[in-house]
Amino acid sequence: MNEGIAGKLAKQFINSKITPLLMVASLLVGIMATFMTPREEEPQIVVPMVDLYIPYPGAAPAEVEARVAKPIERTLTEIPGVDYVYSTSMPDFALVTVRYKVGEDAERSMVKLWSTLMKNMDKMPPGVQFPLMKKVSIDDVPVLNLTFWSKTKSPYELRQSAVTVADELKKISNIGDVEIKGGLKRQVKIELNKAKLQQFNVSPMQIARQIQQGNSQMTSGDFKQMNEELVVRSGKFLESAEEVSNIVVGIYGSAPVYLRDVATIVDGPEEVNNYNFFGWAAAAPKGSVSGEYPAVTLTVAKRKGGDASVLADKVMSRVEGLRKTVIPSGITVTETRNYGATASEKVFTLLEHLLMAVVAVTIVVGFFLGWRGALVVLASVPITFALTLLIYYLLDYSLNRVTLFALIFVTGIVVDDSIIIAENIHRHFAMKRQPKLQAAITAINEVGNPTILATFTVIAAVLPMVFVSGLMGPYMSPMPIGASLAMIFSLLVALIATPWLSYRLLKTEEGHHEEYDITKTGYYKLFNNILSPFIESSFKRWLAFGVVGLMLVGAIALVPLKAVQMKMLPFDNKNEFQVVIDMPDGTSLEQTARVAKEVASYLKTVPEVESYQYYVGTNAPINFNGLVRHYYLRQKANMADIQVNLVHKGDRKAQSHDIAKRVRADVQKIALRYNGNAKIVEIPPGPPVLSTLVAEIYGPSQEQQIALAKQVKQVFEETPGVVDVDFLVEEDQKVYNLVVNKERAAFRGVSAEQIAQTLRMSLAGMDVGVLHTDKQLDPVAIQVRLPQSGRTSLQDLSGIFVQSQGMGTLTTRLRAGQMIPLSELVTVQEKIQDKSIYRKDLRRVVYVTADVAGATESPVYAMLDMDKKIAKLKLPGGYSISPLYTGSGVSDDKLSMKWDGEWQITFEVFRDLGTAFAVVLVIIYLLIIGWFQSFKTPLIMMIAIPLSLVGIIPGHWLHGAFFTATSMIGMIALAGIMVRNSVLLIDFIQIRRAEGADLKQAVIESAAVRTRPIILTSGAVVIGSVVMLFDPIFQGLAISLIWGGVLSTILTLVVVPLVYYMAEKKSTVTVKNKSK
Amino acid sequence: MRFLLPVAIALLVSGCGNQAGTHAVKEREPAPVAVGTLVPVRTSGEAGGREVLLVPASSVFRNGELAGVLVVGNDQRITRRWIRIGRIVKGDVVVLGGVDKGELVVGEYNPELGEGVTVIKSPKKTEEAESK
Repeated sequence: MNEGIAGKLAKQFINSKITPLLMVASLLVGIMATFMTPREEEPQIVVPMVDLYIPYPGAAPAEVEARVAKPIERTLTEIPGVDYVYSTSMPDFALVTVRYKVGEDAERSMVKLWSTLMKNMDKMPPGVQFPLMKKVSIDDVPVLNLTFWSKTKSPYELRQSAVTVADELKKISNIGDVEIKGGLKRQVKIELNKAKLQQFNVSPMQIARQIQQGNSQMTSGDFKQMNEELVVRSGKFLESAEEVSNIVVGIYGSAPVYLRDVATIVDGPEEVNNYNFFGWAAAAPKGSVSGEYPAVTLTVAKRKGGDASVLADKVMSRVEGLRKTVIPSGITVTETRNYGATASEKVFTLLEHLLMAVVAVTIVVGFFLGWRGALVVLASVPITFALTLLIYYLLDYSLNRVTLFALIFVTGIVVDDSIIIAENIHRHFAMKRQPKLQAAITAINEVGNPTILATFTVIAAVLPMVFVSGLMGPYMSPMPIGASLAMIFSLLVALIATPWLSYRLLKTEEGHHEEYDITKTGYYKLFNNILSPFIESSFKRWLAFGVVGLMLVGAIALVPLKAVQMKMLPFDNKNEFQVVIDMPDGTSLEQTARVAKEVASYLKTVPEVESYQYYVGTNAPINFNGLVRHYYLRQKANMADIQVNLVHKGDRKAQSHDIAKRVRADVQKIALRYNGNAKIVEIPPGPPVLSTLVAEIYGPSQEQQIALAKQVKQVFEETPGVVDVDFLVEEDQKVYNLVVNKERAAFRGVSAEQIAQTLRMSLAGMDVGVLHTDKQLDPVAIQVRLPQSGRTSLQDLSGIFVQSQGMGTLTTRLRAGQMIPLSELVTVQEKIQDKSIYRKDLRRVVYVTADVAGATESPVYAMLDMDKKIAKLKLPGGYSISPLYTGSGVSDDKLSMKWDGEWQITFEVFRDLGTAFAVVLVIIYLLIIGWFQSFKTPLIMMIAIPLSLVGIIPGHWLHGAFFTATSMIGMIALAGIMVRNSVLLIDFIQIRRAEGADLKQAVIESAAVRTRPIILTSGAVVIGSVVMLFDPIFQGLAISLIWGGVLSTILTLVVVPLVYYMAEKKSTVTVKNKSK
Repeated sequence: MRFLLPVAIALLVSGCGNQAGTHAVKEREPAPVAVGTLVPVRTSGEAGGREVLLVPASSVFRNGELAGVLVVGNDQRITRRWIRIGRIVKGDVVVLGGVDKGELVVGEYNPELGEGVTVIKSPKKTEEAESK
């Protein structure tokens, strides 16, 4: 037998001193890499997304859309690399969101966007202000939240101490943004006294001007004198409320009017604009106080590429140090989010799983090869993984769920090469036909080349997954890359380290002493009994094929029967979820707070909830999901977020998703009592989307779109399993439109702008400057406003005056400075606020959103369910709509609807994985043709691939699990493994036949000889996957590998030899016939 | 060697789903207390035909800038409710947001009354307060 690459390599290393050194070195670098690679929970995904805020004060949504959103969208769509452009036109401003294709360089995208925008600024209508451009990135998501809460301190004091702590924390290296949510800032409030203003003849505008002018200081220049330069400065900044109150704002009679004469100046907390409360719940640590307390949250983000757990540890120790000095004793600081800790925990759990998988596999190998064989296999795994971890580190991957998952996934596969080699060496040692060294090399030669082929088959199976596009791409790409790398290393280890170890560890004494005879082994007897009847009788053979065929059809039938449902990814077991409450537009902050509190008081009774924190009027610290959903804009008075922290997943039985499902109905009942809409928002296991179910409604006019959206919403609500139904259409909100009477204003010498400014200052308040103190870390604004009690109704506006700029006509003579009451100049119109206009990819759209839980967990089935109902809807045009699944209709003349949300990603993933699978089959086919030089043999080998479905689908049914993207990955990988088994089988048949054995004899012998390595390798895959069964996300993969592995291995051992026999018998018969 | 497998699997299984019970803190049920007068949130006509909500000034408590009242719900339990207050009218405070008309508030704020305390409602006193 001539030596292949495998034999040559083995010969080089089997007795070399370098081999153990290489092994030790690999292990060491691997261990180092494990500790140096940054740890995270989720893989880093760069979704270049940019938000553009374009203010257009005064414009109605329709105008904003037509003049700003539309033209900007059009130009932005032309930028190469832009995937989607969304816009929302609201009263006074437009929000345009640009999403680049996943993987586009963030900085380059920003530059392109900026230049395109600048090029088109001249086309903007007058009045449009300069756009604010904000890059949204994953690093904006805080990794650590610290909640400052107190029984005795007020939100103002809490914020003060949080600000001080934040300032200290910013000194830590590698720290990202530090922000403070909630609390009240210090402010100098100038509360105008309407009566005094009128009495002293001072207008609010005048006050603003005087403060602004009084709050300046500058360097005027210098004098040169006596060979010296003297710097001259003038003016003085306002440094205290006292100084503010002493500003002269006007002259009355012959005396100056000070600000304190016409207004009350208060230096202290700003007006309440948010409610942020923290409370311990049912599962709080022992000894925690009950009740809820004012809170302020300090959020810490990390820099790109930083390690969250290292940063979190540094911050926590810093805070510990500040506890005595900066943080007053009454304030408790509680850690309410620590992604660093969760990431470390996840990583270590996965490493632990990895270890368990390796141990389990070793035990299985031990059964067949004895403890020495097991030791050989056990030693090869850490080396493989050490090298893979090193490559992760070099490729800038982090240790996260996906990269580690790749390792667990291949645990069962990477041992295979070593198993096959060790097993064959073991067999050859047992046969005692050759001296030890010679036997080892022969053994390696025998299986070396098919092993190399088999390894490449498996790599060919997983590698095409790199080409999954869309948001899911970066999530999944470390998997095929990691798995392929591990496979290559495992091959090298099998060819270099395993022979070295086997040669030293495996003993020749054990086993049989007589001359080796295959026909006497148990395997041979077994296969002789099983295969012979089928080989001899073609009827029995066809019967067997028929049974297998039926099993396959039966298994596949489970999918349309909905016994096995498809879902992209199941929910992970997290330690938190959020409740998002939307009250009708126009709800007061206090009413929203009340609803939030009521929902929170229910949530605190849920046994698994450890603590909760609700945020009203300010958004809760976002997560990746909130980032994509723009939850950071949830700062209006009618919105509340409740952050719910569960006890650690080890300390509870229920999964977070089940808890979320359980509380949903009650939470919604409470919200509904106040006409609110509450949603339970869980952290999605995969890439986030606007909502799980999204119906995009296009049409000729907004009214028709909204009308249809209402009907679709109705359908959503009626469908069981569809929950959290909402649509992005604001409810009617009353607005008072103060229309300026132009003639009257002109006669009084007052401009429309003056009126608008005065009104704004009185109601919303106007920041007229900041206090220049160096002690304060947060800037202290000086705000002019009417006091709260003075701006509660339209009547309150009657006392506001504007100053005339003077007007002289024939009939009236009005001197400048005359005070004119506003009520004289405006008339009030009550109307309904215009609705925001949403656009996606240049078309107007109305979104209806929902989630699925309960009756169905998979959006696809809910969608199919609702399709029928939606098709029946009556539309004004008399036609019916059929919701689109991909693409979007071309014309807006008719109403149309498209499904989006999780479906879009599911579709992309399964499409790409399906394509990948097809490519995999072709590559495998080509590889085997190259090896066996036959077009037919590869087809026989690939019969094993569909056979895996017989196990996979019923396996999912048995576990009551979803067929997920990870199941699909398992199926694809299994194709590689099964083909490899066939390769090993048929390769041996051919070797035996070349040695002159009879076809039937060769087939049975091959089955007998190869059963042990096949069962061993498949067994390793199966046992290695058992660990993953308990992980909600990777369960599908485990089921695929376990059930698919078991069934297709059994079937392969019978079906493949039989098919090969049939195919070869025909050709031998024809050859014989020809020779006759 | 063979006995190792069941042991290993048992270890595997137990290692994965480490499920200890939650250590829930049972909240003590406070005994019902009498709280004096309960005053319903009233409305009063303002100039211009607009109505405003009123609560007694004595019922309002403050925590820094936050203002609140103790509301007794239908379940006889006290909740702290944050309110936004406007001007003061003859011993009453105008509430701009946070309570609805007719809700019962504890007439005299008492810091000892905590969240969730059950109250004994005395209808007589309530009516008195109403007719006042």
